[in-house]
Amino acid sequence: MNQVALELKEVKKSIGKKEIIKGLNLQVNQGEVYGFIGPNGAGKTTTIRMIVGLMKIGSGDVRILGESIQSNYKEAAKNIGAIVENPELYPFMTGWQNLLHFARMYQGISKKRIKEVVSLVGLEKVIDDKVGKYSLGMRQRLGIAQAILHNPAVLILDEPTNGLDPAGIREIREYIRQLAIQENVAVIISSHLLSEIELMCDRIGIIQNGELITERYVNDEADQTEAKNKVVFEVGQAEQAANILKDKDLSFERDGDQIMVNLSRQEIPGIVKALVEHNISVYCVTETKTTLEDQFLEVTGGNVIE
Amino acid sequence: MSKFLKLIYNELYKIYVRQSTWVMYILLALIVLGGAILTTTFDDITTEYSDNWREELTQENEKLLNQNTEMAENSGPEFTVEYNSGEIAKNNYYLEHDIRPLNYGAWQYVQENAGLLSFVSLFTIIIGASVVASEFKWGTIKLLLIRPISRTMILLSKFSAVLVFALFSLVFVMLSSLLIGGIFFGFEGINPHIVLEKTEGFTYVPLIGETLSAYGYNIINLVMMTTFAFMISTIFRNSSLAIGLGIFLMMGGSMVVGIFRDYDWAKYILFANTDLKQYETGNVLMEGMTLGFSITILIVYFIVFISLSWVFFNKRDVAGQ
Repeated sequence: MNQVALELKEVKKSIGKKEIIKGLNLQVNQGEVYGFIGPNGAGKTTTIRMIVGLMKIGSGDVRILGESIQSNYKEAAKNIGAIVENPELYPFMTGWQNLLHFARMYQGISKKRIKEVVSLVGLEKVIDDKVGKYSLGMRQRLGIAQAILHNPAVLILDEPTNGLDPAGIREIREYIRQLAIQENVAVIISSHLLSEIELMCDRIGIIQNGELITERYVNDEADQTEAKNKVVFEVGQAEQAANILKDKDLSFERDGDQIMVNLSRQEIPGIVKALVEHNISVYCVTETKTTLEDQFLEVTGGNVIE
Repeated sequence: MSKFLKLIYNELYKIYVRQSTWVMYILLALIVLGGAILTTTFDDITTEYSDNWREELTQENEKLLNQNTEMAENSGPEFTVEYNSGEIAKNNYYLEHDIRPLNYGAWQYVQENAGLLSFVSLFTIIIGASVVASEFKWGTIKLLLIRPISRTMILLSKFSAVLVFALFSLVFVMLSSLLIGGIFFGFEGINPHIVLEKTEGFTYVPLIGETLSAYGYNIINLVMMTTFAFMISTIFRNSSLAIGLGIFLMMGGSMVVGIFRDYDWAKYILFANTDLKQYETGNVLMEGMTLGFSITILIVYFIVFISLSWVFFNKRDVAGQ
């Protein structure tokens, strides 16, 4: 049974007279990977800073495993691991020294645990080099390492794949999924690489102008069977095909040999069958899914900072 | 290790893992070494008194007297005359009390190097000014403040680490002076005593106690200026500003007092009170000042500096650069 790992209740924050977070409500369960997206200036980073205690909460509350970050900071903070913005570590110390430094701020993190984390993020070879010599990707990995040293229940990652090469992105992605599934960690990822979020997250929340405007599941089964997507049919006899679709009362667009219709997944075989029965050569049927990017732009109405 | 000790260890680690810190120690060692070389080559302080010290002192006095009469005739510089007269009086004190003057040695070198604490102050101000500001500069403050440790503890561990750095540096100056002094001048024995001029006239005092008190008096200014730089750096998150102001006030503090010394309120200025030695020598800066008064003023300033640092460090949001 998964309980709520992170909960935001009516969180508000004003800087000066401007209210930049206008009452956020959010719940992330254990074992869930939650994508937190929004245009620049929407309040993502401010929200994250409030969750980890870097900024005071204006009003409302943030709870980590039920402990309030305001009234019981130490207990709540024990269960948070985070990278806030860039993975900035001490450049004049080695990776190992950096990890030791942060490990000393908790009770009972053994050297064995640090070694384990180092190999998890794949930094064994360079762990004794100075962080100043690290590439952005290596620092990103070290950033993740310091965030998970103490086995937190909530892991907050700001742009975790930023600066990683494709192989590294894939590794981290798999590792994040593994953390969620095997160790039941609630992972909150903020990013504007939308395709990345789509691949990693179970659920996404879109924030704009300090408000959570929509929350939805990624790869939702129900969503896939019922939602209508644009389907492109490439046929030999477009004229005839168009007539068939007209008879079925379907609206469509025609572009040369291509006919575009909005259909749910279940309707597609029926249409193909009808086309074939009328001796129309079907060369290709493509379902074009609306991407998260389309949805994002649709919901936020472009990238406008107010 | 307790939680708090671990935090101080972390802070010290970050101070000492950097090369710039070691450059400071190398500089200090070079100054101590250079001082010893200068003393052996140019100074006549190292006059050795043999078993015939009574005769030697009398001769020295005659020589000084002659010098003084010459000076008086040729209207030479007055301070030389004064210095010579002082030396004569001191030598007479030795003769009257039948005390054999102490030959120059390592402990006296250590005592003289109490002046080097201004370098230690300088370095401690630099460390104190950057210990908070650097975390902001590096961006690591974010990773530091998301741990299950209160901000108060983080700030306190940083301030403590700076004081430990000052202590280590001070011990370093003493030990390196003792060692280098020992090599150059030899040791004066187990518990050497010297004659010093105090309020009540000449006194015969143990050298080691005298040395420790000389260092002790210097520590006050060091701690106050470091705390000041620490406060500036915590409030403005700018180490350059804190270093600049800290060093300026360390150097120019007495000047500030000099400018306002005609006003009654000048005694409330921090720098009028940092030199507690004034109550031992009797050259009290302004009327109405007592040891208790100065200590109270120092404590008040200290509390104000620390509280301001604490308020700003604790209340402020850590936002983007």
